[in-house]
Amino acid sequence: MSVSRRGFLRGTVLPFSGTVIAARGMEAYQANPAQDRSARSLVPPGVTEIRISSNENPLGPGKMVLDAILGKFPEANRYPFNSTPSDNALTAAIAAKFKVKPENIVLGGGSQELLKNAVRAFTTPSRGLVTGAPSFENCPGVAKKLGHPIAEIKVDSAFRLDVEAMIAAAKGAGLVFFNNPNNPTATVHGAKTVTDLVTRVRQSSPDTVILIDEAYHDYVTDPSYQSAVPLALEVPNVFVTRTFSKAYGMAGMRVGYAIGRKETMKPLEKLKMPYNISVFGIAAAMAALNDARHIDAERERNTKVRTFTRKTLDELGCKSADSQGNFLFVDVGRPAKDFREACAKQGVVIGRDFPPFEKTHVRISIGTMEEMQKAATVFRNVLRPISTSTGARLEEASWR
Amino acid sequence: MALTRRGFVRTAGIGAAGALTSSWIGARGRENALWSTFEPTLEAVEPGLIVLASNENPLGPGATVLNAVKAAFGEGGRAPGRYSNAQRDLVDAIAKKQGVKPENVVLGCGSTQILRSATHLFTAKDKPLVGTIPTYEECAGYAEMMGNPVRPVALDADFKIDLDKLADASKGAGLVFYCNPNNPTATYVGARATREYFARVNRDSPDTTILVDEAYFDYVTDPDHDTHIPVAIDNPRIIVARTFSKAYGMAGLRMGYAIGHKDTIKKMADWDGGSGTGSLNVLAIHAGITAIQQDPTFTATERARNKAVRDFTGQWFSDRGMKPTDSQANFMFVNIGRPAKEFRDACRKKGIAVARDFPPFEKTHCRLSFGTLDEMKKAVAVFGEVLGKKAAA
Repeated sequence: MSVSRRGFLRGTVLPFSGTVIAARGMEAYQANPAQDRSARSLVPPGVTEIRISSNENPLGPGKMVLDAILGKFPEANRYPFNSTPSDNALTAAIAAKFKVKPENIVLGGGSQELLKNAVRAFTTPSRGLVTGAPSFENCPGVAKKLGHPIAEIKVDSAFRLDVEAMIAAAKGAGLVFFNNPNNPTATVHGAKTVTDLVTRVRQSSPDTVILIDEAYHDYVTDPSYQSAVPLALEVPNVFVTRTFSKAYGMAGMRVGYAIGRKETMKPLEKLKMPYNISVFGIAAAMAALNDARHIDAERERNTKVRTFTRKTLDELGCKSADSQGNFLFVDVGRPAKDFREACAKQGVVIGRDFPPFEKTHVRISIGTMEEMQKAATVFRNVLRPISTSTGARLEEASWR
Repeated sequence: MALTRRGFVRTAGIGAAGALTSSWIGARGRENALWSTFEPTLEAVEPGLIVLASNENPLGPGATVLNAVKAAFGEGGRAPGRYSNAQRDLVDAIAKKQGVKPENVVLGCGSTQILRSATHLFTAKDKPLVGTIPTYEECAGYAEMMGNPVRPVALDADFKIDLDKLADASKGAGLVFYCNPNNPTATYVGARATREYFARVNRDSPDTTILVDEAYFDYVTDPDHDTHIPVAIDNPRIIVARTFSKAYGMAGLRMGYAIGHKDTIKKMADWDGGSGTGSLNVLAIHAGITAIQQDPTFTATERARNKAVRDFTGQWFSDRGMKPTDSQANFMFVNIGRPAKEFRDACRKKGIAVARDFPPFEKTHCRLSFGTLDEMKKAVAVFGEVLGKKAAA
């Protein structure tokens, strides 16, 4: 049912077409928009921008989802609890997918609302946050605002979250943020390691809540990985977050969810912003849940492009950590800022700084094959051996 | 003396205090019941139901805005896959429309996020939230959740904000929630009296912030009508909240904003500002950009349409001896002389959804949102049946 209810609308609605909206309209936002903006501003006018900065699905959500949104046009005026289906129906659909009860699910305006609220709910001035360094910055960002302590545990030599150090730091902590796969390093821990982390933190610090963020779950190809959802349903004080922003191709729609035991969910349920998901987001997410093949195809596509991109960069002498996401964390041997700006001047916009590796590493998201082939040319230009020109030498000097 | 809402009800002996509950029905959002005794288990709305429960614009945002939503799908329908930072464009468009600077504007996921941020920032254990009773529940609910006191102030005999009482209660308050027109009573306090109230609070309680919720601004027809945005941009203690959910017909899209002094706005944005990776969806952002730039006849037309329906519905009740309050919004608050629940359940069985309970008036009053004139004609036929003899007059 796409536009069949158009009769309800006032006036005429144009049929869906591939209209290109103003370039400014659709740009990605990042945790550090200033860096993003400054990189984007370097893209020369007239050059088609390749946006591989925000770990998005470059293909978007697909026709089924877009049709579902169009089908909700007659209900744009209804609050999400009055729409058909309502926000509760989305909760129920997600619960059904995992064979749990609605009480095990909390919806978020993207998983970020849930990350934010987890910090608000579970950390205090004396019980802080444990997170990776680098890892997704949302949780420490909120902890900083609240003035709650933060233990940032540097990743290990393989750029994986340092599980042993995080277990040690978890003692007495309020919240452990465990991003698996980890953004920006793209590495994953296997199911056994995650279970071990949960078990040991439960023993040493039973009041500590463990948030396992599986935003990139659908991109993982490592067979040792398994979702921690079953663990979260079994073990108190553990929950998993998921999002429609990545493989589902709906970053702009702002839909995510948390899943865990009822009593673990309760504080998140309390802090949840009422009607946080739009009527369109509800319809889009429900359509996407029914389209498992779309996710399989997206994983396959991403794996192919990821392998190509990684190999290309490898050949240019830039090693990357084993990626299990839709992005790579690459050692370019120079400050991310320099690399980012040089790429942006040739139309390719890559990720922001990720301390403590901002002097050597960049995060490159996986676009379409065509985009990555073009990006590969740009990377080659930027990384090519230094010519004899003075300018280039000066530039190199400033890199190191 | 700050009282929690619950304490107030007990003390004042109004309403069914025993039925009050502190539990959260979070999934139901607004229907969660911190300011109300009522926790409905709403089922998904069935098609064909006439929804007069949520103060929505029954016509929606119109084709211009919906076309903008469709255009926001972008090339190949890929754009919803991207995080959006077009929120800056929306901030600019709002600033232009309201005659303020972008630094005076912060976006929210509906005005809900705005109300929550303000409550979070400006109430504390020793700085209560002050609001009329009844009023829209979001701020009080959030304050209670934080464990901050809530100081309720009774309305006057006409169900209007009692400015003297409110000014007294505002002394020492962290935040005053000033909903004007007031939801659910639909009454309106004129611009001049409101400004005098601001001045009084600023003088007597300089640390108190006033959040003026102008959600129903576009529906007011009272001649003494004016926005308080010009006051807010110069006064760090005044914030105006606006939403696209009412006259703009975009309740499903989730977009609202606050306008205020740049320092106050910065505080709100720093705490929980809407952003592309935050709570704001890309379709709502583009809908908002288009909606706010529409010709002002859009809201004027909607205001006139609503007034005609309001007059019709108000007259129907008045003719039957049930006088509604003076509505300046897209809903009315009317004494039906029986419990709202009874009326609501009976109407629901006949295909009409009306609003939740609003203590302390849930035993006598009902809030009715205005649908289209056609819908209201159908609705009053049902009301006639449900209200029985009394309505036959």
